[in-house]
Amino acid sequence: MNDLIHFTLNGEKVTSDRSANERLLDVLREDFKLTGVKCGCKEGECGACSVLLDGVLANSCMVAMGSIEGSEVVTIEGYSETKRFQALSDAYAQTSAVQCGFCIPGMVLACEALLAKNPNPTDAEIRKGISGNLCRCTGYNAIVEAVKIAAREGKGLW
Amino acid sequence: MVAFSNGYLVDNLTEALKIRSEFEVTPYAGGTDLMVEAKDDAVYLFLNKIPELRRIYSDDEYIRIGAACTYTEIFENTLTPQILKDSIDYLAAPAIRNMGTAGGNICNASPKADTALIFYVADAKLRICSASGERILPIEDFYVGRGKTVLQRDELLVEILVPKFGLEHYYYKKVGARQALAISRVAFAGLFSTENGIITRFAMAFGSVADTILRFRDLEALFVGKTMTEAKSLRDDLIAKYDQAIVPIRGRVSADYRKSVCMNLLEDFLNQNGI
Repeated sequence: MNDLIHFTLNGEKVTSDRSANERLLDVLREDFKLTGVKCGCKEGECGACSVLLDGVLANSCMVAMGSIEGSEVVTIEGYSETKRFQALSDAYAQTSAVQCGFCIPGMVLACEALLAKNPNPTDAEIRKGISGNLCRCTGYNAIVEAVKIAAREGKGLW
Repeated sequence: MVAFSNGYLVDNLTEALKIRSEFEVTPYAGGTDLMVEAKDDAVYLFLNKIPELRRIYSDDEYIRIGAACTYTEIFENTLTPQILKDSIDYLAAPAIRNMGTAGGNICNASPKADTALIFYVADAKLRICSASGERILPIEDFYVGRGKTVLQRDELLVEILVPKFGLEHYYYKKVGARQALAISRVAFAGLFSTENGIITRFAMAFGSVADTILRFRDLEALFVGKTMTEAKSLRDDLIAKYDQAIVPIRGRVSADYRKSVCMNLLEDFLNQNGI
């Protein structure tokens, strides 16, 4: 009993001694100090805690630690080292898509998940891709525009 | 098998059933319902890395969907019938579709479960296993009430068996307060087929109305085997019977509202099929 939980976090192999029933969100923020992962609602409504789990977008508030043994987790901190992030970041800056910033780590990862599957999304597809990520500042239009710019200017990255 | 504090992770079904029979555990597939509560004393049996629960394949009669397949996996599979894809398309948002599972949607036993509604109208069956054997039962027989099922403490839902044929002509509407992440206020799924002018399939399921999803087979039987002309003449009678049969409960929205929406959807379903 009390086996450690092993997983890969932003490319590094790590372990956690947390209980298997605890939220990945809390472990990322409290133990690994990855505070780019935001806690907004703890019920999968807001997307602020989004991470990439084995390559797909997941709400880390709804992931129990025991389920990620052997899995790969990427947070905004890891993703921000990539060229794809830079393309999205530049595009967000161009359209002033960021105000308070609280939703942005999750939003950017949702955009990454979308573009990884669909490098040339339509407006409707973008809105669907970010539909689980709430933003209360900019009202989404600037974000949708940013995704289109990132797709265009970051051609070949996705 | 890995035994954590407060959880067991296994990579095959045999071992999962053994643990299920020996310990008091909560089956955990995708976590999207369970982790809303995230109880401190929960002991989970993690099912998300068991290949037998994550495959989708078909035999002569059924598309067999592993209980721990995520909504995204089901949506992207070419075997999946369109009516089921439609329900997933309007279910929550991408991150939840990536984690949430059809088996979890069924076992959580909410009358609002989006995919369970489709399994209901499609006459799906559930394959349930324990260490000592297995049983297959119609999804309607699985539910006892809101949040209550006949799943025994040593059993796991393993597969959902969806009939391959007769789902082509369907009607599906989810009425919610918003497009994404909506918990349905009323959901309706209908199936309608004719052969040589005779109605061969007429099925309707109502979600988010009562403690379980509703289906009235005795009323459906009034139309099966009838010609379109006969069905048209029976239309008012059928509507009156459904009006009596559907007794909604009050939830986030009033019972009256639910009733009106149910009846409107039923009429629209009939209209769309020329009845």
